Amino acid sequence: MRLLAVGISHRTASVELRESVDFGRRGLESALRAFATRGVSQESVVLSTCNRAEIYALGESDAAAEITRFLSDYHGIDPAVLEGHVYAHRGADAARHLFRVAAGLDSLVVGEPQILGQVKSAYATASDLGFAGAITHRLFHAAFAVGKRVRSETGLAEGAVSVSYAAIELARKIFGDLAGRSAVILGAGEMAELTGVHLRAQKVKQMTIASRTLASAEALARQLEGRAVPWNGVLSALAGADIVVTATGAAEPVVTRSMIDDVMRTRRIRPLFVIDIAVPRDVEPAVGDLEQVFLYHMDDLKTIVSENLARRTSELASAEAIVDREVQRFATWLQSRKIVPTVVALRQRFEQIRQSELRRLDSKLAGLPPEARARVDEITRLIVEKLLLTPTEQLKATGDDAIAYAETLHRLFDLTASERSGEDETPGGTSEPLARGARRR
Amino acid sequence: MHLVPLVFYAAAAAAYLTHFAWRDPRVGRLATAILAGGVLAHTFLIGMQTVHVGHAPLVGTTAAVSAFIWLLGLSYLYVEITTDERAIGVFVAPLLVVLALIPALDPSVSPRPPLLQSPLFTVHVVSMLFAYASFALAFVLGVTYVLLFKEIKAKHLGFFYTRLPSLQALDVMNARVVTIGWSFLTLGIAIGGLWAMQVHSFPDPRAQAMDISDPKILAAILCWFVYSFALVARTVIGWSGRRAAWLSTIGFVIVLLTFVPVGYFFTKSHNF
Repeated sequence: MRLLAVGISHRTASVELRESVDFGRRGLESALRAFATRGVSQESVVLSTCNRAEIYALGESDAAAEITRFLSDYHGIDPAVLEGHVYAHRGADAARHLFRVAAGLDSLVVGEPQILGQVKSAYATASDLGFAGAITHRLFHAAFAVGKRVRSETGLAEGAVSVSYAAIELARKIFGDLAGRSAVILGAGEMAELTGVHLRAQKVKQMTIASRTLASAEALARQLEGRAVPWNGVLSALAGADIVVTATGAAEPVVTRSMIDDVMRTRRIRPLFVIDIAVPRDVEPAVGDLEQVFLYHMDDLKTIVSENLARRTSELASAEAIVDREVQRFATWLQSRKIVPTVVALRQRFEQIRQSELRRLDSKLAGLPPEARARVDEITRLIVEKLLLTPTEQLKATGDDAIAYAETLHRLFDLTASERSGEDETPGGTSEPLARGARRR
Repeated sequence: MHLVPLVFYAAAAAAYLTHFAWRDPRVGRLATAILAGGVLAHTFLIGMQTVHVGHAPLVGTTAAVSAFIWLLGLSYLYVEITTDERAIGVFVAPLLVVLALIPALDPSVSPRPPLLQSPLFTVHVVSMLFAYASFALAFVLGVTYVLLFKEIKAKHLGFFYTRLPSLQALDVMNARVVTIGWSFLTLGIAIGGLWAMQVHSFPDPRAQAMDISDPKILAAILCWFVYSFALVARTVIGWSGRRAAWLSTIGFVIVLLTFVPVGYFFTKSHNF
């Protein structure tokens, strides 16, 4: 039995192909049940996000090909289409893959936060339905720990990596919780909408949208559950705002220093955060000179984003180091589990010797009263127990040397070959794409 | 004996600094634990001194500084636990260390002169010290506010941006501790005035010097005006944020002056 991770991701497949193998459409439960009928794996977890579709399984060495066949059968795709896009990781490499996924190291945007939750819910589904077992349990809990550690101990997940989210992050640094704050959006284009959606997600109390054409402002206001005001009502809207987003297509600045001067007088000393994501600029740069105004332009936000991306890149090494350590720990645990069949065989061997000796002495013991015979049985059993106690404990504590110990014990005690199992798993694990394919992002 | 809390505070300062620089949550928890240990050790020390001399060790500037440090540590821990915000510790802990040097260098406890044997004296000193501890926190919050404000304003999001809570949170905490501090300052001054009137005829030159012209009393009154102004300005003319932060700084400079140079060299009424 080997641990396997088989699937496709944004690294190996295009969006179209990923969409066609999305397990999310019919639900993870249906996928898990269908996969179980194949009888390939004892334990299975299906992970499906918009960037990846993966099956974690515990199967024989040919199981990877079987899982690939399942992918094409279940989704009704020609196996030839999948060829070159499916990867398979085995043993410790499967663990490494999952740990990197959970840490956000394998994500399209490195360090993105959703993936850990998706891994958690994938495991929870499998576990609830009884498809997870001792190994997947340990594997996934280790993965959660890796994800958590990478997020808390490295800067991998820090800093916004999109312009609109960078604006939100800044707003939160100024105002704290954005619930209860008011925002004004000037413009009704794509960038206005994107930032508006982020603000809505932050539960901004009131959103006011103004645009040169009232109809488009109203359309966006409906979508964002805000209110639209005509263009000449902008000044009064600004007076009540904490956050102003400007994204109009105007050629000249629509927000001038004298406008904001007037606005600031009525609002006393309350900070105003102006985000100008229009190109060319909507806000006169002099607005930023006002004491309580924070003015950020598109270029400033872009600089922040590129700095954040650079910082994330600089944190990669420490994140990978955490993954390495945890993979090592998991591999050690996996190795130590392999000693279990040997321990069982050893105990059976001892019990076997005890039984045969008791049988051999049966005639000599026949004269003893039943209580005495029972006593003999008990004493011999206890001796065997005592003899095996320390070796059993020691064996269970072995890590990397498990295979060597198993070999030695098999030779010393002549444990039959049929009692050995799990040794087809080479330490370290192997990974290879099932067939060569172009790496796409 | 005063070395024990000093060592704890120094270790806590080092841990807060490490936490601030590397942001390892385990180091952060360790810092809190060390600081809590220091405050606990300090509590024992003050308790032992109380038992030893038979009254709370509040007589003399050194003892007052010691009690002040203890109250500041306690107040800071309260703020940290209630807001789950550790970043301020890096500013508070070094302040504790510097101040803790005073009692560590001069650990003697002055005997209590007959003049001070009044419950009003204890209430006066404890409220004043608690007010000053709150103002110290307000000062730290104000400084961090200005640092963060400058970073955001200048669009150089860096060191403080990633480590400090939001401007709003700092401002709210500042308002809270200034209000608490002002309340205790008011109480402390009122009780002090009441007590001064009671002891005015006492045959002690210090009792006679208890009036507004004494530098220590003048500084306390000045403090009261600064913080009253800060509170009124915040509610009436909306002076929050950076201006409130500056007022907290000015106020605390007066507090520090009251404490060290005035307390040691200039006052004629409060030189116990």
